Parts: sequence; C-alpha cells; structure tokens
Amino acid sequence: MSDATLGRAPAAARAFRPATQETPWVRWTLIVIAVAGLGILVAAPLIVVFAEALGEGWAAVIESLGHRDARSAIRLTLTIAAIAVPLNAVFGIAAAWLITKFDFRGKAFLITLIDLPFSVSPVVAGLCIVLMFGANSFAGGWLVANGMPIVFAVPGIVLATLFVTFPFVARELIPVMIEQGRAEEEAALTLGASGWRVFRTVTLPNIRWALLYGVLLSNARAMGEFGAVAVVSGKIRGQTATMPITIEMLYNEYLSVAAFGMAALLTLLALVTLLLKAGLEIRHADQLAAFRRL
Amino acid sequence: MHIEIDEIAKIFGATTALQPVSLAIPSGALVALLGPSGSGKTTLLRILGGLEYPSSGRVLFDGQDATGLTVQERRAGFVFQSYALFRHMTVFDNVAYGLNARPRATRPPRAEVARRVTKLLDLIQLPDIGKRYPSQLSGGQRQRVALARALAIEPRMLLLDEPFGALDAKVRKELRQGLRHIHDETGLTTVFVTHDQEEAMELADLVVVMSMGRIEQIGKPSDIRARPATPFVREFITA
Amino acid sequence: MGKPLIHRSPMPGFGLSAGITLTMLSIIVLLPIGALLAKGAGFGIGNIWETVNRERVWAALFLSFRLSLFAALFNLVFGVVLAWVLVRYRFPGRRIIDAAVDLPFALPTAVAGIALTALYAPNGAFGSLFKELGVRIAYTQWGILIALIFVGLPFVTRTVQPVVEEIEREVEEASATLGASRAYTLRHVVLPMLAPAALTGFALALARAVGEYGSVIFIAGNRPLQTEIAPLLIVIQLEEFNYEAAAAIGIAMLLISFALLLVINLIQVWSRRRIGYV
Repeated sequence: MSDATLGRAPAAARAFRPATQETPWVRWTLIVIAVAGLGILVAAPLIVVFAEALGEGWAAVIESLGHRDARSAIRLTLTIAAIAVPLNAVFGIAAAWLITKFDFRGKAFLITLIDLPFSVSPVVAGLCIVLMFGANSFAGGWLVANGMPIVFAVPGIVLATLFVTFPFVARELIPVMIEQGRAEEEAALTLGASGWRVFRTVTLPNIRWALLYGVLLSNARAMGEFGAVAVVSGKIRGQTATMPITIEMLYNEYLSVAAFGMAALLTLLALVTLLLKAGLEIRHADQLAAFRRL
Repeated sequence: MHIEIDEIAKIFGATTALQPVSLAIPSGALVALLGPSGSGKTTLLRILGGLEYPSSGRVLFDGQDATGLTVQERRAGFVFQSYALFRHMTVFDNVAYGLNARPRATRPPRAEVARRVTKLLDLIQLPDIGKRYPSQLSGGQRQRVALARALAIEPRMLLLDEPFGALDAKVRKELRQGLRHIHDETGLTTVFVTHDQEEAMELADLVVVMSMGRIEQIGKPSDIRARPATPFVREFITA
Repeated sequence: MGKPLIHRSPMPGFGLSAGITLTMLSIIVLLPIGALLAKGAGFGIGNIWETVNRERVWAALFLSFRLSLFAALFNLVFGVVLAWVLVRYRFPGRRIIDAAVDLPFALPTAVAGIALTALYAPNGAFGSLFKELGVRIAYTQWGILIALIFVGLPFVTRTVQPVVEEIEREVEEASATLGASRAYTLRHVVLPMLAPAALTGFALALARAVGEYGSVIFIAGNRPLQTEIAPLLIVIQLEEFNYEAAAAIGIAMLLISFALLLVINLIQVWSRRRIGYV
C-alpha cells in the first residue's frame, strides 16, 4: 500500500502501522525464522543429495545408474507406478462419484475408511499385506500353490503401494466435486445424455486439474514408498528391489555415490512434482481443493 | 467530544479515495456520512477511527491534533459492517474484551468487568445472552452485541460502518430506534456510514452527503431535502 | 432415525461406483487390516500382551511416541509461524518457500533418511559443527527427532494456512479499536482462531511420526532400548518370520493410530460446534 503523500504530510505517516500488521522488527524476525528453518530442515538435505551424488564426478554417477541392478530397480519402480497410479485414479474417481453424487447412510464412515491408510504406519501396512497374502496365510497359500506368489514378489509391492497411496486421488476430488454440486450433471441428464457421456463431457472437464493434482501426488508417493515395500518385497536384487529399496542396499554397502545417485533421481522426481504442483496451484487454483491437506 | 476534520485526503496507490475534505462535528451530534459505494465515506470513518492514515490533513479531537494517535489511543467505539465479533468467545467475553485487554494497572477487577458487561447487555435489551456464542445469535442480536462491545471501553465517540447493512428491513427499522436510544442515553458523538438516504434522514441530526471522495453537502436532513446543493444530492436523495 | 439407507437419485452409476469403491477398499485396505486383527485374535490377547509387555518393546513404543510428540510440538510452533509468514508477509522468495514446505511430502523417505544422515553424521556438514560442541546428532535420539521433524513439517503449515487466509481483517481491527495491543490481539483473537486447525495438523504430524520408518532407520543407529523405533521392531520380527510377535506390535501401533484419528475427528467436531467452522 503506497501512500502517495501530498501537501503537508504529517511526519507520523511513516510510523503509521495498520492495525492488522506487526511491527517491522517482529515481521522480519518471523521471516528470518521461517526462511532459516526451512533452509536448515529442507534445503540442506536437498543439497546434500546432489553434492554426495556428484562427489566423484558425473561419470561415476552415470556409471552407477547404468549398472544392471540399478536399471532393473528403475524399471521396477516405473512398472509399479504404472500399475498402481491408474488403479488409484480409477478408485479415486469411483469413490468421489459415489460420495458426492449420492446420499446414503454411513457416508462419513466410508470417508473415514478411505482416509485410514494415511494414519497407518507404512510398516504396519506392509505387515497387513504379508499376513493377508503371505505363504502361510489362507489366501497366500493357495496363490503360491498355484504359482502366483504375492509376497516377496511384484504383486505384493503393488498392493503395498496401493495401500499407502490409496486416499490421494479421492481426497483431492471429493472437496472439488462437493463444491461443484450436481446441477450440471442433472442438466446433462435431462438433455438425454447417457451416464457415461455425462461423466466424460461434464464431470471430467470440471475435475481434470484436481485429478491431475491427485495423480501427481500419488505418483510421487508410489515411486518413493519405502516402509511398506521394504516389508513385502523380500529385497531380491534385480527382481523385487525398487529404487528406494536399492538406495538402502547400496547405502548399507557403503556405495555412497551409487546410493545418492539413485536418490538424486528420486529427488528430481520430487522436485518436478512440486514444480507441477505449484504450477497447477497458480494457474488452476479455483479448480483445486488445494491447500487443504496433502 | 468535538471532532474536526481538517483538509483530510487519502490516496491508495493510483486511486484517490478522498479529496481534501473538511468537516466539523459538534460534540454529542449524531452524524450520517451518506453516499454511494466508492464515495469515500468508509475511508473517512476509518481515518477517524485510526484504522487508516490520511495522506494529508489533520484530525482534531476537542481541538487537539489526534492525527498521530494509534487506533488503541483513539478510544473510538467502532462497529464494523460485518460486526467482526470474536467467534470463539461468548457474548460476555466479547463485550468484556476491551476491558480485559487493558494493561494490568488500569484493568478493572473481575467483578467490576462483570457488572459493566451486565449493564451493557441490559442497555442493548439482551440481558440473557451472555453465555451464548455469536454463531447462536440472529443478525440483529449480533449487531447489538457489537455495539455493546464498542461501548464497553467507554469510548470518546462511536463510529459505525453501515451498521444496518446486513439486516432485513423490519429488523433494520427497530435497530435504528435502538441506536437513537443509545445515542441519547450516552450522549456520545456518533458518526455512522450509510448508503441508504432514508436511514440517514430519519436518524441523523446532521447529514454529510459524499460522492467521489468529495463532500457534496452538509446539513440538517430537512435542509438537505428542501435545498439540495448540487444535482448529485438532488438525484441521490430522491432515488 | 427412519433415514433410508440410500435416497433415490436420478444420477447414474451408483452400482458401478459403489462396486469399484467397496471392492478396492476391501481388497487393498480392509481385508489386510482384518488379516492383522485376525492374526492377533488367533494369537490371543494374553499372548499379545506378553509380546508387547517386554522391556525392549515398551522402550521402542515409548521412544517412538515421545520423540514423535516432541517433533510434532516443534512443528506445531514452527508450522504456525510458517503459515502466518507465508500468508501475511510479502518478501522475496516467498513462492519458493511456499513450494518447499511440501518437499517432505514429495521426497521419498529413504532419500530423506540418507540425506539427513549424511548431513548430521560426525563428518557431515552439520554433524561436524555439532561435534565441535561435543554433541552427537546422527545415531542418537537427536537424529531421530530431526528426521521426525522433517517428515511432519508440512502438516501444521498446510492445515493452518487456509485458516489464516480466511481470517477477516475486521476482526483484528476490532480488537485494536477496543484498545488491545497487537500482541494481545495475536494471543487472544488470532491464536484461538487458528487453534483447531493447528491441533489437527499437530495430530496428523504426530500420527505420521509415530509410524515413520524410512527416514528414521538410517539416522537412528537402531540400538535396542536406546534408538530403536517401534516400526523397526516389526520389521525385525518379520525378518525372523515371527509373524505373531510382528502382529502383536502392529496391533499396538494400529491402536495408537486409531486413537489419534479419533482425536483429530473430535477436535474437528468440537471446533465446528463451537465456532461454526473448522
């Protein structure tokens, strides 16, 4: 707020502070605390990842990432995300449609159940999958006998990943769809559109940015999940070692450059996610549930 | 308290909210700042209350330069258009707020605070709502609570921004009388902002018609009705 | 009370969306959690208690909960400051800071774990500074605390930020016109308005920290009774194929999570009832 001063401006004008503002001294102290705190807590670890990865030069990192096990870990992580994220999107859309377009008893309870994975430790999530589908469980025994092992194999990793990323898309869509109401869909229905057509031509365009946002978040989490996957994967090199699991193995073998090299790849993914997220927030803030909760 | 506005102007960036305006408000008067939105009336009220600082000019309270006084030092009872009640406090705590916020040395004892709050709730004719939260009140009740809260600090003047703006027509009429009654009871110099000419004419001793950051006319309601000074005033009061 | 199970609606797709939702929810979340509870039931409450009621398990649960509490408290204070600064102040780099708040959400926990360890190890950038002061961070409880602060950082900020945005300026102005100093206004008007959201964020950060594994195990040192967190105990039991014991500790942790979830919901109900918004 720039006060242009005309005529005989009182000297106190510069000292005037709006009633909703702190003194400059307080203001700058808080800003310094915020910036320094984030610098130490967030920026420093970020820098360390790249510094350690490039500690022995570019060639060393690139070589380590070209290693057979590293390539297989990257392939596995991409595969997991390619399976888990679309499934998540389908679930998120179905759940959001169910919750926002219909009134039924137990809706609040259903929302609580969908949110449940957020408050369960990833390790406990992995444990649940092991107990459900492990070789000595009822379902797992049958599956193993029929040549479809789940635990210590890729399907188990997919299930664990789905568990921890389960609420992301639904969480983003539900508030946006509540806000948009049902009027547009109802209008389309009265015009004779089929249900599928209503969804495709009316609902989807309205929620696409929120959907993308949810997909971004669930993808970042899917590629980076460690605790749940560590429990179910069995950590078989070249077969069930995802990128985060490989980071752990390399780190424990004191292969620092290789470990941080792979960590740097995942960090780049995180940064791209944040960048896209910030971009979406700036350009499509009105269509996002943003800032609610991640 | 006698208020004098001396060549006050306010500029926000590229827009001029107030041209230099001057106005004398006699002690104990009930004054309406009347005008359409964007006429500068709210800006002028906020400058009186110390919520905005004028780009130039002075405000005098009883002849003393008050321009540099902070909001807190002004002791102006201010009623906001949205009432701005504290939603997490009961009505009692809302009204007691200004007393409890005083530094320890001048803060009245608990019993005295309670006594004054009770008295104010009686004055606004809502003696039994002390334990309720603002969300449990009707619009008219909220407005009266905001008034009681402003009065609790024993203000030197009462400033009200569209005090009836958010109310339906019936309640509005009732509360006009309420404000008149409280004004007469306390004898406080009172300035209220309104865009409703009927409200200004009915309630105020002195009406200040404003437009585009300028004062168009100052006068008693009857004078303004009989002799509009400018075409704008004529059109505005017959609208 | 006589409310029908479902209201008739002209909207299509009830069967399909309900089918997909309930099937996936069951297979991915409910049945596995059920399997854990069934395992516990088969094991028996007495046996669960016997498994949990050992010094090493208590030490781990207590450590996880205590350090999570400290980390969440730190994040409560820092998160409110951060939310306030990001909404109310304009300064160069604000947008970057705002985006950086989400990094702990986006960064894989294993990456955070090794990065924090490298930073705070005795030969690391920060670790060497602390070493000169005679303080060890990595491989001690301090290290665990820092990792838990890191993962919980965004919660309070992100829950409080929208509430700060919604505070009407007039409410703060009203406080000032009533004679209250800025400090009094912040303490008695602004903070109480932020409290429900801040407490929600606090509980979320706490829940996250109690269950956190990836970012902690690298920096923790993992010595029994001293720096061994509860989730690690589960992993250790699983590696020894001791499913019953793993399930017992898992159930204990699940109960803590449910209790926290309940607290979060109660806070929201309470705040909605009292001030009509969350």
